[in-house]
Amino acid sequence: MNALLVLMGLLLLSYLGSFLVGDRSIRGFGLPSGAEYVVLGLALGPAALGLLDRSLVLAFDPLANVALGWLALLIGLDYGYARDGRRVRTARIVGSSLIALVTAAIVGMATWFAVGALMGLKGDDRLLVAGGVAAACAETTRNAIRWVVEQHRAAGPLSELVAELAACDDMVPLLLAGGLFALRPAAHLPAMMSLGRFELLGWLAITIGMGVVLGAMSTLLLAREFRRDESWIVLLGMSLLGIGVTARLGLSTMTAMFVVGITVSVLSRHRIAVRELAANTARPVLHPALLLAGAHLEVHPSSLPLVVAAALLARGLAKFFVGRALGVVSPPARKAGALLGLGMLSSGALAMTLGLAFALRFPGPLGDTVLAVAAATTILGEFVGPGALRISLRRAGEISPAPASSETADPAAAAAP
Amino acid sequence: MTHAAAGTRKGAETRLLQAAALALLFLLLWLATHLVPQTEQRVGTIAAVGFLLLAGTLTSELVELIGLPHLTGYLIAGIAAGPYALALIDESSVADLTQVNSLALALIALEGGAHLRISTLREGVRRLAWATLLQCLAVPIVVGCVFMALRRWIPFARDLPAAGLAGAALLWGTIAITRSPSATLGILSQTRAKGPIATGTLTFVMTSDIVVVVLLASAMVVARPLLDPAASFSLHDFETLGHDLLGSVALGTTVGLLLAAYIRLIGAQLIVLFVALGFGLTGMLQFLHFEPLLTFMVAGFVVQNLSKQGPKFLEAIERTGSIVYVIFFATAGADLDLQKLRALWPIAVALAGSRALVTYGAGRLASRLSNDPPMAKRWSWAGLVSQAGLALGVAGVVSRTFPMLGTGFGALAIATVALNEMVGPVLFKLALDRSGETRSSQKTPPLTG
Repeated sequence: MNALLVLMGLLLLSYLGSFLVGDRSIRGFGLPSGAEYVVLGLALGPAALGLLDRSLVLAFDPLANVALGWLALLIGLDYGYARDGRRVRTARIVGSSLIALVTAAIVGMATWFAVGALMGLKGDDRLLVAGGVAAACAETTRNAIRWVVEQHRAAGPLSELVAELAACDDMVPLLLAGGLFALRPAAHLPAMMSLGRFELLGWLAITIGMGVVLGAMSTLLLAREFRRDESWIVLLGMSLLGIGVTARLGLSTMTAMFVVGITVSVLSRHRIAVRELAANTARPVLHPALLLAGAHLEVHPSSLPLVVAAALLARGLAKFFVGRALGVVSPPARKAGALLGLGMLSSGALAMTLGLAFALRFPGPLGDTVLAVAAATTILGEFVGPGALRISLRRAGEISPAPASSETADPAAAAAP
Repeated sequence: MTHAAAGTRKGAETRLLQAAALALLFLLLWLATHLVPQTEQRVGTIAAVGFLLLAGTLTSELVELIGLPHLTGYLIAGIAAGPYALALIDESSVADLTQVNSLALALIALEGGAHLRISTLREGVRRLAWATLLQCLAVPIVVGCVFMALRRWIPFARDLPAAGLAGAALLWGTIAITRSPSATLGILSQTRAKGPIATGTLTFVMTSDIVVVVLLASAMVVARPLLDPAASFSLHDFETLGHDLLGSVALGTTVGLLLAAYIRLIGAQLIVLFVALGFGLTGMLQFLHFEPLLTFMVAGFVVQNLSKQGPKFLEAIERTGSIVYVIFFATAGADLDLQKLRALWPIAVALAGSRALVTYGAGRLASRLSNDPPMAKRWSWAGLVSQAGLALGVAGVVSRTFPMLGTGFGALAIATVALNEMVGPVLFKLALDRSGETRSSQKTPPLTG
């Protein structure tokens, strides 16, 4: 297969992505996490059918980098806001970040031991894999939550709580990725800026600082009146510049672009217009990125399945404890019972894109391990998460029996797990 | 900030902000390229696109202050950041971007074709015929003669025998008749000009593309035995040309009809469709040896004239214009070899100057013969000076077909086209402003003829 055909295929996916799942409603074809595109990429890629050979997959790395950066920008633009545009309360943002942090810590520790014992990794390599896996496993994808809530017409305080928690848990994994990339920058700080042993912090500050500067510049250039064409130039130009420069420096493109998104969201008076402008591109960009992520998957070390299993088990446990802890602090969550935590197992776009970002930046066993865990957690989450959440919401009395009968009448619902 | 804002007055605060942002962009890329001089994974190209998009747009806003067109701003940004000046963008990135330009050219040709309406062509057929005849006769003859007269100062022509020199002059003259559809559309997109000069220039430039293809094939048939005594006169090239042209028109018509059907039945995600067409169809056309510019132009023409989808199609394609033109011309600027221009500038000035003069004379005469309005008589030539990618493409074909001319032919072509590329858009915008066809000029009483 040649590069042009692959490009046409990606464009076709992008095209279909814009139709299959609309922006306003998630009731459409396909899985909420987009895991089917990962599986498709895996099937077509060098690890399975080999229709896309390794060199061809690598040729699309720059495109994948751009897609990752753009998706991170969209996450940043949306960060801290609920689906209906309402600002999420600070307490819930903090709570959501804490949940992500706890999940990341538990998964990270389990992976640390697993990769040390099973893969023999040491030092920075061990830290990178453990941290990368932790970052990829930390979030709960908002799409899956939305999917369950909308499919079953759930309404109530628990639906709202879970949706808001899922909408605000992106900062921890993205900052973690920024710190991990800063461990291995492509350059060293100039002597006058040298921080010695704290160089990592210096690079992390540069990653975040670049996001803030580019975001502030975007805000200034977006002008007083919102103009669609000009805004496109500013957003696209600033994103490509930010992605290219951070990638050149070996820093986390996703972290920097996430910060750009947040900065624009906070500073610009056109936040809603900008968000609406960019939001339509999410699915068309995400589907090709997921396919490329799947095609990147390689199962090199024989111990990889064990590492994946350890990470998945740790994530399951972490989410279970999170569910129990939510039950303690929130009365609606208490009614949902023990399965609530497992209902938050769904992961998707952010996990896969972080996995792909690690695979692009650290090619070989390090990146492959993170990507493989991200893919496994996405696929497993697809089987467990929506079902467990549906049961929890039903127990909490937020799904009435009536909509259940309409499930079978809805072809989209019938196609979903 | 870009085309939609053309003509609006902006305060000093905004301009200062734009200048500061521009400086910051240069500083950011300079720091990145100095910290990590070599990169993998073509990340330099990603940053280059973003930088050119922003820096080109900001520079275009700033040069607007002195009445220069946006295209000039894009070119300046590209030149400054390119490998021959500040080297913030390296040669491999420029090469990558030049490949991406197949998409830009496809969009430009589609837009150009969609701007041609049968009714407009019918109205201006007399003018178009005179202009085509005179420009295609006078320009190659005069510029070819100047080329021969300057042979002593042209390194690769100095030692050619008389027949070879005539062949080289003929080929040079053919390059001289190429125009720049991209520059024409870029200026019209910025100024939204309407009137006889805008319409006449666009019609002439787009149709001259077909004329150039035919004349180039003819010139190569004649020049081959002159430059290579061992070669014989063969009409085989015309057979190939006929195949290429008919194939391009047939495929363009098919694509146009399919596009019209798509817009009518579905009508969504046209941008993705354009990108797929720009890359996919261009790849196929190269394989078939068809003319991409002609094919896309015919497709645009068919959508506009043989369906009711023209306005919707044109609106969708113009929406991409603000991005396409910045990247296309900023890349052209970055690709501009300043060293060659520095070495060859006296000859380049003479050749570009003579071309501009004869274009002026032929334009005035064509206007007189076709009884144009006074303003058109005065300014209709000004839009025909620009040259860009098409001219360089033709020069590339000539260089590859006649290796005996050496690399000097291509270098001189680059230097000459560079001058026309910088001066042409300025002249065209000046003409549109002076004739009162631009939006901004319509606010003030236009000068009378």
